[in-house]
Amino acid sequence: MITTTDTPSVPGAGAAQRRPRPGGDLRSVEKPRSGARDLLAALPWISPALLLIVGVVMFPAAVMFYNSTRDISVSGIDKGSVGFANYAEVFAFPHFWPIFLRTIVWVVVVVVAAVLISLALAQLLNKAFPGRRIVRLAVIIPWAASVVMTTLVFYYGLEPYFGIINKTLVDIGLITTPEGYGWTRNPPTAFAWSIVVAVFVSLPFTTYTILAGLQMVPGEVLEAAKMDGAGPARTYVSVVLPHLRGAVAVAVLINIINVFNSLPILKVMTGSIPGYDADTIMTMIFKYIQVQQKIDVASALSVVSFLIVIVIVAVYVRVVKPMKEV
Amino acid sequence: MKKSQRFAAIAVATTASLSLAACGFSESGGSGGDAEGGSTSLNLLVPSYSDATQSLWEEVIEGFESENPDISVNLEVQSWDNLESVLATKIQGGQAPDIYNGGPFAGFAADDLLYPAQDVVSPETFSDFQESFIANAEVDGTAYALPLIASARALFVNNELLEQAGVDAAPTTWDELLDAATKISGLGGGIAGYGMPLGSEEAQAEAAIWLWGGGGTFGDAEKITVDDPSNLPGAEQIKKMIDAGATQADPGSTDRSPLMDIFVQGKIGMQVGLPPTVGQIAEGNPDLDYSIVPIPTRDGSPFTLGVMDQLMAFKNGGDKQEAITKFLDYYYSADVYVPWVQAEGFLPTTKSGAEQLSGEASLKPFLDVLPGAKFYPSTNPAWSATNGAFKSLFGQIQSKPAAEVLAEIQAQADAG
Amino acid sequence: MAIIAPALQAIRLPATQVRRRRFTDDQVPFGSVLLRMLAGLVVLVVFTLPYLIMFFGSVKTKPQIRSVDPTYFPTEWRWENFATMWSTPETPLPQNMISTIVISTLATALVLVVAMPAAYYTARFVFPGRMVFLFLVIVTQMLQPALLTSGLFRQFLALGLIDTWAAMIFINAAFNLSFAVWIMHSFFAGIPREVDEAAQLDGAGRLTVLFRINLPLVWPGIVTAIVFTFVACWNEFAASLVILSTAGNQPLSVALTKFVGQYETSWHYVFGVSLVAIIPVVVLFMLIEKRLVGGLTAGSVK
Repeated sequence: MITTTDTPSVPGAGAAQRRPRPGGDLRSVEKPRSGARDLLAALPWISPALLLIVGVVMFPAAVMFYNSTRDISVSGIDKGSVGFANYAEVFAFPHFWPIFLRTIVWVVVVVVAAVLISLALAQLLNKAFPGRRIVRLAVIIPWAASVVMTTLVFYYGLEPYFGIINKTLVDIGLITTPEGYGWTRNPPTAFAWSIVVAVFVSLPFTTYTILAGLQMVPGEVLEAAKMDGAGPARTYVSVVLPHLRGAVAVAVLINIINVFNSLPILKVMTGSIPGYDADTIMTMIFKYIQVQQKIDVASALSVVSFLIVIVIVAVYVRVVKPMKEV
Repeated sequence: MKKSQRFAAIAVATTASLSLAACGFSESGGSGGDAEGGSTSLNLLVPSYSDATQSLWEEVIEGFESENPDISVNLEVQSWDNLESVLATKIQGGQAPDIYNGGPFAGFAADDLLYPAQDVVSPETFSDFQESFIANAEVDGTAYALPLIASARALFVNNELLEQAGVDAAPTTWDELLDAATKISGLGGGIAGYGMPLGSEEAQAEAAIWLWGGGGTFGDAEKITVDDPSNLPGAEQIKKMIDAGATQADPGSTDRSPLMDIFVQGKIGMQVGLPPTVGQIAEGNPDLDYSIVPIPTRDGSPFTLGVMDQLMAFKNGGDKQEAITKFLDYYYSADVYVPWVQAEGFLPTTKSGAEQLSGEASLKPFLDVLPGAKFYPSTNPAWSATNGAFKSLFGQIQSKPAAEVLAEIQAQADAG
Repeated sequence: MAIIAPALQAIRLPATQVRRRRFTDDQVPFGSVLLRMLAGLVVLVVFTLPYLIMFFGSVKTKPQIRSVDPTYFPTEWRWENFATMWSTPETPLPQNMISTIVISTLATALVLVVAMPAAYYTARFVFPGRMVFLFLVIVTQMLQPALLTSGLFRQFLALGLIDTWAAMIFINAAFNLSFAVWIMHSFFAGIPREVDEAAQLDGAGRLTVLFRINLPLVWPGIVTAIVFTFVACWNEFAASLVILSTAGNQPLSVALTKFVGQYETSWHYVFGVSLVAIIPVVVLFMLIEKRLVGGLTAGSVK
């Protein structure tokens, strides 16, 4: 396995640069077939995956959509159809639009920050220096750890009286109250720290994707740029970055979905705050389920959020065209 | 709502009598299908009160199973955070636990999911419950839940801090409390006079302590009345305490448990606690010099908030009534129940239990105030929504006008 | 679907990387190496600090963790916390560990078996419904797990699989299929078709082409997919919470919540168990890190 990895992939270099338009060429090599026959031929290959998805995911997803049009009691009993009343309730909620906007801010800030920091981080991890392997392993830890636990460590560090972070800030004189500041007790600071944690846990995946992307920058191009007298900054912007487009596009797309759907960080960091000034759509869904016990309305909001992600992803794909090759 | 509830109650009563008859029939006819199949299994879903909860229940189950080899009991312990969502999932899947330990029950009763209490315990066991607790488990005159544990609140006072601040006696009225707390806060060094937890964890409790202490109410079995003028004095007093700097920072978003840890370690002058707090102090800081006094009120008249958790028996098709009854009768027998309650550090809900534990010094301050305790309107099906509204909204009182916050809670409670 | 290709294809090409990777000159000034090491140190500290705090918490005593005068280091080291946590009354941790390992391993294996043919075929052939299939795969990532649990519970109840590992293996596999399909798809797509054609001219069947010819070429991609899937399964919580009701069947993620009481929490155990849960994943990373970013380490400063 190790030997084969290294040998025959060289000719693949060209193919790797091209957007994989699967099949096209190969099919033309074979004798042309009808659509139905093509599908039939594909079935043995894709049906296990199809079966697993349809078998496991379809029913619960359908239940969620169905529940969003029902009236479900506090104890979970279905009291009949209410049409779109749950959706009406979702949109009639006075805090819905602020929450919607905050969700967008949350996604944009976290994803942009995570990508920018990851670009720098990947740049560093790509350079040779003693101890690089250990640093690379360290970067991976937040990915391996569960998000809830990482968040809890931050949360307790930030608590007044008990928190190490507060203690440090008091010790170096940045905070004058001896018990520290209630970072997680006020909506703006709690939200800001949630962003910090979200960026932190998004870094490993993003960095590693970009690190892989850096491997695609051809050495000759870099050398050529150098010969032309381009400085490192200019080389980075005009040579390296364009080659990273694909990697960054992927990292952004996956991060958008993950960050949008992320509940644990905000749930822990802003959990004790009253009102709706630090909520995103995800924590609002959680509040509908847990606090108000309205599974029906929660389902409706969940369907709405599902549609929002699809729209965001569609817009992103339209604008950025991540599938277009460099 | 009311009408349908009454209808539900009638329906429940009818089904209950029918199933009782069926039960009687099968008993006289020899033990029905159960004996043939060999065993009945009961599912028990309970929340975690402490690190001992799991093993305490396991002990109960072990003892029960050895006496009733034909019944097996499956225990599932969940944290309070997850308890209700796990239960809701099970109910939607038609797999409600046979016995469930929780708080709000009126919603389940309204949905006709529960056995009436009298159908799942023997008359002897039922008559052993203290009447005031049973009354709090009744919907339209029928008890649907079995009182499990009770707690009463009292003010925990750090004697040393009071002395340092020059306060001679523990406060009994709001004015005295404000004065004492302000003085203690004035000591500086991160010390807070009064620990006020209005964060989501248990905002409804601190709210009740103040609003009811000022003559207010959350309503009754028929109607939730949070947005009521009688609740304003208490709400205004909360704001007064906060504005005077008599509380810790950010009371609106401070949760109860971490705040109690701070009290235990001597950084808070006074905070309302409950029986298990005594054990927490013994474990965390046994040197703390503290006393337990009644909660100060507007006019100094005694009052406490009583909270009761209960066991409920879900019907689930109705074929396990006999086994459930056996289990509950076993559990509530004094030899089993009293050590259980004692280990969790709460107050018993049975007469025999109260008698046995009356000598406990650590429980005495709470047992003393328990008779005058006021309870949440938990027999109102809307209580669950009200409770949630308090948790997620009441803390805003720190920065918003009191009346506005109460109106918001009322609106959310009514909508639920 | 091909979007992931450029990012990850690089991993596949270690041989070319030796040529292309020349980011750094052979003679790097000592100063900049020092600078890199310094920056590396900062990164190291930032990324391990939260977990060091977790570690120090795990060897503190229960009251010490909740001390209002927090100390950076434990004043008394309770190493035995790591021993006692295996036999607490709250949860049977050894069983939880086994449960997590079994579920994660088998779910990852199932994902691999199911995703590989699909990824290969969609990367190689055009057929009607191909985009629909690939879209369906992505959509599973966009649904909110918290609201799917109710349906999952009913479904596996009907199948008679409630409270079984099998249920969680299927659920984990189904919800993590998408990433595996994406990644492997892009890797297969990167293999020049001539390789396949040559093999087929030699009379090899399609399966042979996949397993004998393509598979060895895309190992790094498969490794990436394994890591993604394994980590996700390892930390899954929402479905396990409702599907697995017997304490011994539950994975570590659910077991952790058992240390949370109504009024007090055994934080030293929560932290200790979390750390123990991280270790197997980090070890897995350590073993395959080289493969994950291709032949990056070749030619580093020694």
